[in-house]
Amino acid sequence: MLALLFTPLFNGLFTAMVVFLFATGLTLVFGILRILNFAHGGFFMIGAYLAFSLTRLFASDASTFAYLLISILAGIAVGLCGLVVERLVFRPLQHVDEAYSLIATYALLLISEGAVKAIWGVSFHSMMTPAALSGAVIVDDLVIPLFAIFIIGLGIVCYLLMEWILQHTATGKLMRSVASDPWMAGMLGINVPRFYSWIVIIGFFLAGLAGGLLLPNQTLSPNLASVFVVQAFGVLIVGGMGNIRGTFIASVLLCVIDSYGSIIFTEVPGIFFYVAMAAMLLARPQGLIAGARL
Amino acid sequence: MTSHTGGSTWGRDAAIASLVLVVLALLPFAGDKGLVFLAGTLTLHVIIGLSWNLMFGRTGLVSFGHASFFAIGGYAFAWVAKVSPGLHPLLLLAAAGLFGAFVAFIVGVIALRRSVGVYFAILTLALGQIVYLLLSYIPALGREDGFTGIRRPRLALGVASIDLGSGDNYYYFIVVMCGVLAAGLWWVMHGRIGRVFKSIQQDAERAAFLGINIQAYRIGSFAIASGTTAIAGALYAPWLQLLTPEVAHWTFSARPILYTLLGGVQSFWGPAVGALVFAILEYGTRTLHGLSEIVIGSILLLVVLAFPGGLLGGLSRLVGRIRRNPPIAARSEIVR
Repeated sequence: MLALLFTPLFNGLFTAMVVFLFATGLTLVFGILRILNFAHGGFFMIGAYLAFSLTRLFASDASTFAYLLISILAGIAVGLCGLVVERLVFRPLQHVDEAYSLIATYALLLISEGAVKAIWGVSFHSMMTPAALSGAVIVDDLVIPLFAIFIIGLGIVCYLLMEWILQHTATGKLMRSVASDPWMAGMLGINVPRFYSWIVIIGFFLAGLAGGLLLPNQTLSPNLASVFVVQAFGVLIVGGMGNIRGTFIASVLLCVIDSYGSIIFTEVPGIFFYVAMAAMLLARPQGLIAGARL
Repeated sequence: MTSHTGGSTWGRDAAIASLVLVVLALLPFAGDKGLVFLAGTLTLHVIIGLSWNLMFGRTGLVSFGHASFFAIGGYAFAWVAKVSPGLHPLLLLAAAGLFGAFVAFIVGVIALRRSVGVYFAILTLALGQIVYLLLSYIPALGREDGFTGIRRPRLALGVASIDLGSGDNYYYFIVVMCGVLAAGLWWVMHGRIGRVFKSIQQDAERAAFLGINIQAYRIGSFAIASGTTAIAGALYAPWLQLLTPEVAHWTFSARPILYTLLGGVQSFWGPAVGALVFAILEYGTRTLHGLSEIVIGSILLLVVLAFPGGLLGGLSRLVGRIRRNPPIAARSEIVR
């Protein structure tokens, strides 16, 4: 009985946090630079592959500490890629039409896919869950994998941390002010271009970090880049065009609806995500949290 | 550039079209089967690109679900041909096109009610995913294995009857049909409707103020473009004789966008040039593992950063610079 009611809830929350962790960097970059970054998926994938190689080389004992450390290292490496991308691509794109920046980021997605194929090959890989996180919690007939609980907790902690930084620290207020009016922020003496560089670096760092953290849950293949992008775009838009709170709420709503929907309508799993997304956009075109930047 | 002057480009465009048709007609004599197959596929891709640009370049709509209409047309053709064989292929093509246009009409009525811009793009992306998932799971349409065994039909034309299954007949059929579709798109873009579309793209608010029902015209543009792509999809089904849900995937929806922006938005032929360049790049790098994506991606990036007006936009600026008379239209499309 418990399983029937709550298994979809946990599955939905788990997917929601996976999508949210993927979408945080995307939301940050879109919220401030207004660039819808297709390449986010590509750099997420590079983060995952880097973490995979690092684990193989240095940490075959599957300890949780090594898993976290390697994820952060992958994030830093991808963040450095972000610096290069910002200088070479995003900065020149500031003054051209939105549609062109969409194409440029799609081109970056292709390049990152190609790089992964050239470096790591096209075969499939998978990685063990760290030993401490590989069990399951059993309540009555309800079985919840520990890793799912870990990811759900991680997603919530990540959300609360970002919310706190954005709403209650000086850096966060600076970020919101640049997001709402970059020209005025520049007039007040903020170095906006350098600020943009940092945002892109942080956004890419989050992509790489998410790649490393979600690695035990994924099958590694060059297709990984385009798996989450569409869902992440969905929660980004439903949430209200680039604010963290909206993205979080939208992830939870859409994924939980999809999870319950897939039980009722088993023929086509996954379709309720998009149906719910279209319905929400039609009911509230401005998004769940309208007008808020970040 | 071309759009504002209407009739004066008619002669030039007709000459280009005739030249392209002659080249395509002579191709089977010069190349092998593989090349003919690529040329047929490319011709269909050109139609996808041209029809997408009717929405983007002429009406200002960014659809991210164009591939789903290609898939809808293809699957509709394949399914009807299987259920009731013996129907005239031209009738089937028309039915597939009308079905695609009808789906677009329904989606457009709902989706274009309040939302344009990024919302429309994301809504059509969601539509594309829904179509992709449905095609992957419906047993009658072959699920993930795809719809197999699609026959090339016989084409009865009054007294004569042509077997499209033999030789290069189906290739010629594709070329002729695509010629008709491209001419239709040209006519729509350069006629009165096209000018109304263009006014909406340039300034929707002002167009509405002039008494244009922008809602109806946007839906119309979306339905015409989607219906045309559905016919291209219907032509594609017997060409490959197999359809997989991959034709509805969002990465395929990105293709017409790439063609258009690579070739040039402002020119009618832009998407065709983009499709050709993309096909050459893809063919040239097909044997290089991973390098294919890197090369295509880098060239796309270079074009977007160096020639934001696309290849044709860059070319016309170059020509303008040589003539010491830079065209203003080419400049304004970058700033826009």
